[in-house]
Amino acid sequence: MEELIQLLKKQIIEVLNLEGMTPEDIEVDAPLFGEGMGLDSIDVLELIVLLDRQYGIKLTNPAEGKEIFRTVRTMAEYIYEHRTK
Amino acid sequence: MSYNIGDNIIAPLGYTTDEVYQQVLEGCTSLKRYETFWGVPEPFVASLFSEEQRGSLLCDGLTFFESIAYRSASAAIAVAQSNDQDFTVKGDRTLFILSTTKANVASLEVDGKVAYPGEAAQRVAERLGVTTIPLVICNACISGLSALITAHRLLASHKVDYVIVCGADVQSLFIVSGFQSLKALSLQPCRPFDIERNGLNLGEAAATIVLSAHPVNAGTCCEIRDGVVRNDAYHISTPVKSGDGLTMALRKVLEDEETVDEIAFINAHGTATLFNDQMEAVALGRVDLRAVRVNALKGYIGHTMGAAGILETLLSMRSLGEGVVLGTKGYASEGVSPVLNISADRQRVDGKVFLKMLSGFGGCNAVLSCGISGIAKQKSIPDPLLKRTHHVLLTPHIAEVDSCPIEIKEADSELLVELYKKYVGDYPKFFKMDSLCRLGFVATELLLRKEGSPVCGESRSVILFNHSSSIDTDRKYLSELSARGGYFPSPSLFVYTLPNIVASEIAIRNHYKAETCVYILPRLNQQIMEAVIKATFCDVSVRSIITGWLDYESAEKYIADLCIIEKNDKK
Repeated sequence: MEELIQLLKKQIIEVLNLEGMTPEDIEVDAPLFGEGMGLDSIDVLELIVLLDRQYGIKLTNPAEGKEIFRTVRTMAEYIYEHRTK
Repeated sequence: MSYNIGDNIIAPLGYTTDEVYQQVLEGCTSLKRYETFWGVPEPFVASLFSEEQRGSLLCDGLTFFESIAYRSASAAIAVAQSNDQDFTVKGDRTLFILSTTKANVASLEVDGKVAYPGEAAQRVAERLGVTTIPLVICNACISGLSALITAHRLLASHKVDYVIVCGADVQSLFIVSGFQSLKALSLQPCRPFDIERNGLNLGEAAATIVLSAHPVNAGTCCEIRDGVVRNDAYHISTPVKSGDGLTMALRKVLEDEETVDEIAFINAHGTATLFNDQMEAVALGRVDLRAVRVNALKGYIGHTMGAAGILETLLSMRSLGEGVVLGTKGYASEGVSPVLNISADRQRVDGKVFLKMLSGFGGCNAVLSCGISGIAKQKSIPDPLLKRTHHVLLTPHIAEVDSCPIEIKEADSELLVELYKKYVGDYPKFFKMDSLCRLGFVATELLLRKEGSPVCGESRSVILFNHSSSIDTDRKYLSELSARGGYFPSPSLFVYTLPNIVASEIAIRNHYKAETCVYILPRLNQQIMEAVIKATFCDVSVRSIITGWLDYESAEKYIADLCIIEKNDKK
């Protein structure tokens, strides 16, 4: 799981163009949206593409993403359980 | 005022305004479900021309997009010629304006050369016999209304006598995949304003109105009375929940309406996405128009993008002339708050005016007011006195403000990042922007540093011109789309394939809420740019404009040549 969290942080930084940010800057339990990292609705959609491309998980309803993308940890847990690749 | 002296619609439902109007009146729709079409792996619902229609509409030497624009414009011109003997397409008093969001992007993969929208417009204009340089308006979903508003202002300020305003878009893997990645498409026929609405359907069409500075057959033809564009300055793809931009545009248009009782109906954008329809309801509530009949036409023809503003205005003009408000196909039960007076089926109405609304990516909102001709007072608009206050020039090798060079390290492809880090630094969103937006953003920041005291709100507009549209990002989007053998359209890249997003980024950063628009030309032309800038000041709220040439073709070839132009009222 730790390994997955580290990898996921790197992938989030890459896909969202968070240039200058390092994996250490992202707290695993901090909220990704709103006050936390301040990600927005397009970022949610980019994270949906990330799940599909890297882990073979298809989310059709962006509303489902709300809980999954709450923090890096919730995301990693969801991937751990649902990944197809 | 400006007057409709000839028009046409070419859509899957028919090839004239009458045919399409009759089909809509009878409740027909061209929306169909496509399973795996154009290599799109997921099903979608859209209004598309059939293979047979495509074959019959295609013109020799033109792309399909150019063909429908040409056929629609030439049919409208023929009608205008029979109505007005003085009308001619030739000479410097007639202008051709093309409204489109993605022009020939469907052909980008096979032929990079056709990708420039200004050149596509030039091919259509030449075949029509138009001799002036065509102007392309690329302002996302509101393009059609932006085009009508620009034409109206150029006519009202006597810059030209006739404007052929044509709107067109065709669908392809490029556009469908982008809207899929944004999760904006419904898998059923769309349901504007309905409680069960869950997304939009794309459509393809071309529609044309020939506008004249003088009416023909007064009393029967329709006139454009006024039009306003406002920006939310909130987000590049999500409308602001408070409907601020649309509310401001409505308020401004209503200022000049003698009485709200004259409004027969409001033709909404009504895309049937959750956010758009709700935002429109909030704005209509805020200006006390909840009781006025509202309809939306996407359930018949889909969202025809660059054509939508012109096509839907035309159907509304026709219905106003007949004293009818068209129905809203797909609507069954209240689904927005506040509750609106949605016209589910066609009804008879009184009133001599209708309002047409559109909102789109880039946070832009447009409202147009149209009426039976002869009821509005003629307003003559004097040329404003203008002065240029500051100027910036940025290319891969030059960076200067007000003719003073800016110190930079070895000029390289990272020049924009270097300038950002040195002179801005506090806006990390910069790193998410595409190349055109980075260029426009950095250039504007340098201008504003020079200006000093910040200006914001409804008094400042952003009007940009270029040749390459969003070509660099279009190419990136296409190559990412099929990268590594899968199908992974990127939603943020797709949004940046709309060139007007750069105006939006500047508006968001600086809280500019007046008009934002991007115009594309076949080549740089000071005369037409100047005419458009002067026309923008017809909106009396606008006191200054950030404007100029902003073109990003590649990392080796880009230019930002921008300035601030202020209105000088001193007599």
